[in-house]
Amino acid sequence: MATTLTPPPRTVPGREARVRQGPAERLAPYAYIAPFFLLFAVFGLVPLLFTFYVALFDWNPIGERVFIGFDNFTRLLGDTRFWNAAWNTISIWLLSTVPQLLAALLLAHLLNHARLRLAVFFRMSMLVPYITSVAATTIVFAQMFDRDYGLLNWLLGLIGVGPIDFLQSGWGSHVMIAVMVTWRWFGYTTLLYLASLQAVPRAVYEAAAVDGAGAWRQFRHISVPSLRPVIVFTVVTSTIGGLQIFTEPLLVSRSAPLTCGPVRQCQTLTLFLYEQGFGRFQFGYGAAIGVALFVLIIAIAAVNYVLSARIRPER
Amino acid sequence: MKLRTATPIVLAATLALTAAACSGGGPAQPPGGGSSFAFWSFTGINQKKSVEDYQKANPGTQVKLTEVGTSGETAQALTTALAGGKVPDLVLIQGDDLPKFVQQPQNFQDLRQYGADKLKGDYLDWVISQSTAPGGEIIGIPTDVGGMAVAYRTDLFEAAGLPTGRDEVARLWPTWDAFIETGRKYTAATGKAFLDNAATSVFFQAVNQGPQKYYDPAGNAVYATSPQVKTAFDLSIKTARAGITAKQSSFSQGWSAAMGKGDFAVVSAPSWMLGAIRDNAPDTKGKWDIATIPGGAGNWGGSYLAIPKGAANPKAAWDYIAKTQSPQGQLDHFVDSGALPTTPSVYQDPKLTGLKDPFFSDAPVGKIYTSSLLGLKPFLIGPDSSAIGQEFLDVITNVEQGKGDPAKAWETALANIKTAIGT
Repeated sequence: MATTLTPPPRTVPGREARVRQGPAERLAPYAYIAPFFLLFAVFGLVPLLFTFYVALFDWNPIGERVFIGFDNFTRLLGDTRFWNAAWNTISIWLLSTVPQLLAALLLAHLLNHARLRLAVFFRMSMLVPYITSVAATTIVFAQMFDRDYGLLNWLLGLIGVGPIDFLQSGWGSHVMIAVMVTWRWFGYTTLLYLASLQAVPRAVYEAAAVDGAGAWRQFRHISVPSLRPVIVFTVVTSTIGGLQIFTEPLLVSRSAPLTCGPVRQCQTLTLFLYEQGFGRFQFGYGAAIGVALFVLIIAIAAVNYVLSARIRPER
Repeated sequence: MKLRTATPIVLAATLALTAAACSGGGPAQPPGGGSSFAFWSFTGINQKKSVEDYQKANPGTQVKLTEVGTSGETAQALTTALAGGKVPDLVLIQGDDLPKFVQQPQNFQDLRQYGADKLKGDYLDWVISQSTAPGGEIIGIPTDVGGMAVAYRTDLFEAAGLPTGRDEVARLWPTWDAFIETGRKYTAATGKAFLDNAATSVFFQAVNQGPQKYYDPAGNAVYATSPQVKTAFDLSIKTARAGITAKQSSFSQGWSAAMGKGDFAVVSAPSWMLGAIRDNAPDTKGKWDIATIPGGAGNWGGSYLAIPKGAANPKAAWDYIAKTQSPQGQLDHFVDSGALPTTPSVYQDPKLTGLKDPFFSDAPVGKIYTSSLLGLKPFLIGPDSSAIGQEFLDVITNVEQGKGDPAKAWETALANIKTAIGT
């Protein structure tokens, strides 16, 4: 312990500092980070472990609890509703993450332009969707995508395209939810990219311009490479967020909220968990779905890690 | 750094989440004892009014009313509270949520200890039988029922060349088949949809019109073989394929919009639906009327008051039930709010039969709705009744949307139910 706590010699300011280091000073860093880890233990770790435990039971919150071993998991693997929800989740995640990151990349590049007027206004307004309530966003978007009275279908009608029932069709409901997710997050991602871009010295762009590089070459060969670490970061965070999409599918279909429509066409894994756990009060089965979701996220994060290790900039 | 503003927002969001996690779900529990008690109810039914009336009549009693959320959210909060041990003294439970609580009667006070078994005769037998556990424990007193009728637009009927008076309209559809035929005539004459949807407006009504629904009296699930269920299902598929519906699921955004625009002329209306029509389509005041439902009788909805086992002040809670849910108490509440009494002794009371609703062309709502209740036969509601109903509903909706194959719909529904409930 003591050796790991001792800072490496090159960062030690001087001998005096080391002499004065008593036990209080050594423990101080742990005290500073303790609040997070205490809260995490209470609200993160304990519920997580308890979920694994509950998943082994047929657990009625107000009735009997019967230990059934791995029966919940066996049932889950044979449950078509689970695979449907898993597919929906991945589909919505891809549809929302890929366009979102690409759009954010381009926008960040544009907002970083030296001659942009009202730059602060544009940059700050990107955050407005992010700070708007998810429920409000969802309700407004659901209205826009409505089959008979939606703005989007009215516009499509003007160019002679028949009304599309977004909510009732599989791909339509996925696109609709992906648009909501993208809308909420792209500004935040853009600002992350922009912050990173601003660390690139302007002289690099100017030198490239002098050498005859156009906007596209500047974007491709200066902006994108310098953004690599933050791109990896946003891919990981949007993966975690994207696999847990819940509010949007819950609120778009008011007549069948827990299934997101009559054939579960946009029911995500988290919504399936909620339906089983809190709609039907099968806590054990709901917990098993939670464990499955946990495994899925770990697996996809591992794939992400391997892929991102490859695109890491060479030094 | 331009990012500076983003960080505090993220921080604030994290803190807000933490705070929400710390405060822990359900409403706060006031200290019990004395003559005060905690009461959980739903939003949107104006429970405050009856609480205020009760407090006025019983000075010194303090009712701590919490409107938890929708009926479903209230049931969820109650489940959490029962599992956690901090419970209210009195709670309102909606009929659809009731069976899973009745299945676990040990969580509630058996109201027979306060004399509920002597009051049993005051209430419609099929209503109070739903809050009676197999062992005889009475865990809830019914507050209201949702008698059935059909609301229709007189102006749109006139334009379609159909009669407009409520008695003549009722004669148009003595049966559901006649109802569908009327719909065909309406749609042929106007080119517009007749009904909002097939699933809730036909299936949910027709399936309730008989002595046996998804369970037999012994508690066995018989949804797959019950002729009543199959008949209702076939009728709703026939409706869905007749091209007379607006394909708008009840309570969806499109449904509200279509109602205001007159894009359908008819909606099945349990008594509590009248309020929803008023709210969703305020400009249509006076253009509606109410006729009896095909088949004559029906019920959809209704709630119960229950006292959890761990209540701090069950006596005060029972006093509230006894005084507000007596036949006279329910009659007064009906006049105030339109909630239909569960006590047949007041069904002939002139205060009830004389009540007219100007929004619905002065229809005598009390008379219409109570007559739909008297013909009803009790059927057993089982623990999975709501899940079974939802699966049927979804399959019918899918056929109506043109996505599901009507020939395979029945088999699909049975397979989905098997997956959902495991039997």
